[in-house]
Amino acid sequence: MDAPLQTFTYNGQTVTARRGESLAAALTAAGIRTFRTTAKGAERGIFCGMGVCQDCLVEVDGKPNQRACMTKVNGPLVVSQEAHARPLPPAEANPSPRQAPAVERPDVLIIGAGPAGIAAAIEARRAGASVIVADERAKAGGQYYKQLDVKGSDVAPPDPQHAKGAQLIAEAVALGVEFRHDITIWGAFEGRQYAGSGPSGAVRFEPRAAIIATGAYERPWPVPGWTLPGVMTTGAAQTLWRTARRIPGKRVLIAGNGPLNLQLAAELVSGGCEVVAIAEAAASPSILEAGSLAQMLLSAPDLIRDGLAYQKVARKAGVGMHYKTVVRKIEQEGQALRVTLGPAVAKAGTASEETNYTVDAVCLGYGFEPANELLRGMGVDHAFDPVRRQLVTIRDDGGRTSLPGVYAAGDCTGLGGAKAALAEGAIVGAAAAADLGFGVDPLHLAASRRNLARHRRFQKALWSLYKFGGFDSGLIDSETLICRCEEVKFGDIEDALATDMRMIGAVKRQTRVGMGRCQGRYCGPVLDTLLAGRFGYERHDLSGFAPRVPVRPVAIADLAAEMPS
Amino acid sequence: MTRTGEVWRSEIAIVGGGILGSVLAGFLAEAGRQVTLIDSGETGGSTANAGSLHVQMQSRFMRLYPEHVPGMERQLPLYPRAVRFWREFERELGADFDLKVNGGLMVAESPDQLEFLKRKADRERELGLSVDILDRTDLDRLAPYLGPAVIGAEICHDEGKLNPLKCNRAIRDWLQRLGVTLLEGVRALSLEQNGAAYSGFTLHFPDGERLHAEKLVLAAGAGTGALAATLGLNLPTRAEPLHMNITEATAPMIGHLVQHADRMITLKQFSTGQIVIGGGWPADLRGPRAHPTVRLDSLTANTTLALHIAPSIAPLRVIRTWAGVNTSVDGKGVLGPSSRVPGLYYAVPGDAGYTLGPLSARLVADMMLNGDAGEDLDDYSPRRFTA
Ligand SMILES: Cc1cc2nc3c(=O)[nH]c(=O)nc-3n(C[C@H](O)[C@@H](O)[C@H](O)COP(=O)(O)OP(=O)(O)OC[C@H]3O[C@@H](n4cnc5c(N)ncnc54)[C@H](O)[C@@H]3O)c2cc1C
Ligand SMILES: Cc1cc2nc3c(=O)[nH]c(=O)nc-3n(C[C@H](O)[C@H](O)[C@H](O)COP(=O)(O)OP(=O)(O)OC[C@H]3O[C@@H](n4cnc5c(N)ncnc54)[C@H](O)[C@@H]3O)c2cc1C
Ligand code: FES
Repeated sequence: MDAPLQTFTYNGQTVTARRGESLAAALTAAGIRTFRTTAKGAERGIFCGMGVCQDCLVEVDGKPNQRACMTKVNGPLVVSQEAHARPLPPAEANPSPRQAPAVERPDVLIIGAGPAGIAAAIEARRAGASVIVADERAKAGGQYYKQLDVKGSDVAPPDPQHAKGAQLIAEAVALGVEFRHDITIWGAFEGRQYAGSGPSGAVRFEPRAAIIATGAYERPWPVPGWTLPGVMTTGAAQTLWRTARRIPGKRVLIAGNGPLNLQLAAELVSGGCEVVAIAEAAASPSILEAGSLAQMLLSAPDLIRDGLAYQKVARKAGVGMHYKTVVRKIEQEGQALRVTLGPAVAKAGTASEETNYTVDAVCLGYGFEPANELLRGMGVDHAFDPVRRQLVTIRDDGGRTSLPGVYAAGDCTGLGGAKAALAEGAIVGAAAAADLGFGVDPLHLAASRRNLARHRRFQKALWSLYKFGGFDSGLIDSETLICRCEEVKFGDIEDALATDMRMIGAVKRQTRVGMGRCQGRYCGPVLDTLLAGRFGYERHDLSGFAPRVPVRPVAIADLAAEMPS
Repeated sequence: MTRTGEVWRSEIAIVGGGILGSVLAGFLAEAGRQVTLIDSGETGGSTANAGSLHVQMQSRFMRLYPEHVPGMERQLPLYPRAVRFWREFERELGADFDLKVNGGLMVAESPDQLEFLKRKADRERELGLSVDILDRTDLDRLAPYLGPAVIGAEICHDEGKLNPLKCNRAIRDWLQRLGVTLLEGVRALSLEQNGAAYSGFTLHFPDGERLHAEKLVLAAGAGTGALAATLGLNLPTRAEPLHMNITEATAPMIGHLVQHADRMITLKQFSTGQIVIGGGWPADLRGPRAHPTVRLDSLTANTTLALHIAPSIAPLRVIRTWAGVNTSVDGKGVLGPSSRVPGLYYAVPGDAGYTLGPLSARLVADMMLNGDAGEDLDDYSPRRFTA
C-alpha cells in the first residue's frame, strides 16, 4: 500500500502532502495561498477549485501554467509560484515523431463522470451499448459524488455521500462501462467528432451517440476584493474538504444563495473551522413558505433530513446566520480578510446596515452557471430561463438535443441538482441506447421518470424558498474587476458603452473582457446580463460571447498530431 | 436618432466597416464630407485578422492560385508602401498600434524549398523589396526559436505586425471624433439607383428602413458581390472562412512574422506575449447565420506545423481559436469608380487586405475627392468585371 504522505518542494521549501491530494489542497494546508501573480502583479490563488478559473496556476517540474487544483501529488514534484509570461524552457532535444491520435468508436460516449454521466452510462450499458465515459478529473464522481483522495489516521473517513458515489461508480464498472480519466474533451465538432487531450497527448472519439454531462460551475460575485487569495467559491472549499479533508483557513465566512452553503458550513465545522457567519441572499424561510417546505418534504425527505442536520451543526457551533444579506466587499487586512456584508440591493446610505467580519477565508456560493460550452460550440439550441437566469438546453424528454446523435443530461443543461441529474442521466442513457437499437426495460424507465419528476418538484420548491433578485450591478464600482483573467475593470466596460457600443463581441475586442484563459466563464454572464438590461433584450443563445474551441486551454503539444501532408 | 421606419440621408454612404471602409470614412470626413458607415457587425476579415503586415509574396497564394502570380507581382510594390502608410497613419492618429517592422521570415526545410525562396527573392528584389536569404548559422543568431528542421529562410526586412484590436479601437474613436455616423449592427439588404426625382442611391435595410445617399461605396468585403448584384452588376467576391489560434502569454521570443516556403502557416507574437498561429487554414460556414466555425483538421494541422517550426512552444496552451471571413477576388484589389454606375465606388483590397487597408482607403478617397489618385490605378479598376 502507498505511504499516506508525500513531500514536494514549493519555491525550494519542502511541503508535506497527503499522497493523492491536489497541490492546491496541500499548499492550502501549508498556509500558502498565493499561487501566481498576474500581468499587473496582483496575487491569485484557488478560486473555483475545479479547473475552470485558471487562477491557481503554478509551475510543476518545469511545465508552466499547471492548475494546482487539478494536479495531484502522487510523487515528488518541484513546484513554484507562477508569474505572468515567464520564458519557456528549452525544447525537448529529441522529440518522438508525432502520430495521429488514436480514435475510439464506442456506441455511446459520455462526457462527464458526475451523477448524470454515470447514471446515463449505467443505463446505456445495461441495454447493451458499449460505453466510454471521459472525464477531466482523476476519479469519477463529478461534483456531488467526488471521492476522497487521501488516507491516513488523521483523515475523517468517507461519509455516506462518498459511499453512495463509490457504489454507483462500482456498479458502472461492474457492468463494463469504461472510464477514461484525466481526459479533457476540449472540442466537439458537429456531433460526430470529439477531440480531447490527456497525459499521453491527443485523443479522439467518434461515437455513434454522445451524451454531454459536463455539469456546472459557480456563478461569479464580482464585488471589490473577489479576486484576493483566500476568497474562493463554496465549491472550492468543499472540494478541499471532500477530496482532501483540508480546510480553507481557520476562521471562515460563507456567503451565497442556496443550501450548499449550509452543507459546507457543517462540513467545515466538523473539520475544525470556526465558521463565523453565513450570509444568505434570500429571506429567512417563513410560514409563508410552508407550502414549499411541505412539497420538499414529500419529494425528497432524505435531503430535508440532511438539511436539518446541517442546520443543527451550524447552530450548535454558533455560526451567525444573516438573511437577505450579501458580501459587498472584501479587503486585505494584513494576513486576514475583512468582509463587509450588507443588503442584497445596492442603494445609497446603507453604511449603517453593513456588518464586518475579519476572517482567513471567504467562500462565495451564489448559484451555478451551466457548463454548456461544448453544446453551444456545436450549435445545439438553447433558450434563456429568466427565472433561473441561465441558458437551458432545448431537449425532448429523452434528452435529445437539436443535433442528431447529441444528448445532454444533468446540470450542464440548466441547473437541476445532483439527484435530478442522477434520475435524468438514467433516462437519457436509456434513450440514447434505444435510439441505437438496444432494448430498454420500460418499467425501469418509467420508474426513472417518476423519480425525475419528484426531484424536479423538490428543486422547484427549493428555489422558490431561496429566491432572490440576483447580482445587483450597483454593488460594483468602476475599479472592480469584472474579468479576472485580463484584469478588466468595470469602469473599462462603462467607457466602451459610453461610445455607443452595443454588441458584446465589440465590447470584448475593445476592452479584452473575456479574452483570458477562463474564456469568459465568469465575466460573460455578468456582461451579458448587463447589456441585456441596458439595451432591453432578453439573453439568448447568441447574446453572450461566441463559444469557441478549445473549451479549456490545451498545450500545443497535446493539440498537435501527425504532420499534415 | 430614431431608426424605425425612418429614412436617413447622407452625402456619402459606405457599406462595410472593415479596415478599408472605416479608414475611408475617416479620410472623407476629414475632407469635410458627410459620411454614414454601415456595418452588419458580422465576422469580417478586419475583426478576425491576425495583424501580420505582409509584404513578400505569400507562398500560400502562389500555390493556391498560380494564375494570380502575374497580378500579385504587379501589385507587389503596393505592400511596402502600405506598411509605411500604416506607420504614418499611426502617427497621424496619435495612437499606438503596437506596430513593429522586425522583418518577416519565410522558412525552408529542404534544398528545393530554399531554391524556390532564392528564385522568389531575386524576383522580389527586382520589384523593389528588401529581401535576403539566410542560412542556418544566420538563423541561429537571428531566430534561435526555430526548430532543427529549418535549414534556411528568406527574410523580408519590410514585413512586420501590429495589433488589430488596438488599431480598430483607435480608428473607431477617430471616426467618432470626426462625426462619422456609425450604423452598427445594420445589414444593407439591397441597393437601388434613383431615378429622375433625385440623384444618388437608396439603400434598403430590414424593417423598411432606408437611406438616401449621393455617393455610395461598397467596402463590404465578401458581401460586396451580393450587394452589387442588386444593382445588376457582377463582382465575383468569394467568402473564404479562415481560422486562427492564440496562446497564453510567454516572454518575448518570436520577434519576426514567420511563414513557410511550402506550408500554410503564420506565426508571431503580440506585445501581450501571446503567440498567434494562423496562415489560412480553412474554417466552415455553419448554421442559419453562416457562422464561421473552426474545423478540427485545420486546428490540428495548424498547431502541429507551429510546433514543428518552433518546438519550444510545446507546453504553451492555446486558449482560444476563432474564425473569420477573408475575401478573395482575383488576387488584386478592386478600387475606384464603377465602370457602369456613376456615383458608385468599390473599395475591396487584394490579398492581405488588412495590410493594404489604410493605403487602399487613401487611394479611393483621393479618387472620390479629386477625380484621380495622382497615379495609374488602372490595374485595380472594377472595369475588369461587369462592375
Ligand atoms: C464545485 C461544486 C461543488 C458542488 N457541490 C455540490 C454538493 O455538495 N451538493 C449538491 O447537491 N450539488 C453540488 N454542486 C452542484 C452539482 O453541479 C450537482 O448538482 C451535480 O454534481 C450535477 O451533476 P452533473 O452530473 O450534471 O455534473 P457534475 O457532477 O459537475 O459532473 C460533470 C463532470 O464532467 C466533467 N467535465 C466537464 N467538462 C469536461 C470536459 N470538457 N471534458 C471532460 N470532462 C469534463 C467534470 O470533470 C465533472 O466530473 C456542486 C457544484 C460545483 C461546481
Ligand atoms: C482569420 C483571418 C486572418 C487574417 N490575417 C491577416 C493578416 O494577418 N494580415 C492581413 O493583412 N490580412 C489578413 N487577413 C485578411 C484581412 O483581414 C482582410 O483582407 C481585410 O480585413 C479586408 O478588409 P475589408 O475592410 O475589405 O473587409 P472586411 O473586414 O471583411 O469588412 C467587411 C465588412 O462588411 C460588412 N458587411 C458585409 N456585407 C454587408 C451588408 N450587406 N450590410 C452591412 N455590412 C456588411 C461585414 O460585416 C464586414 O464587417 C486575414 C483574414 C482572416 C479571415
Ligand atoms: S482554482 Fe484551479 S482552476 Fe480555478
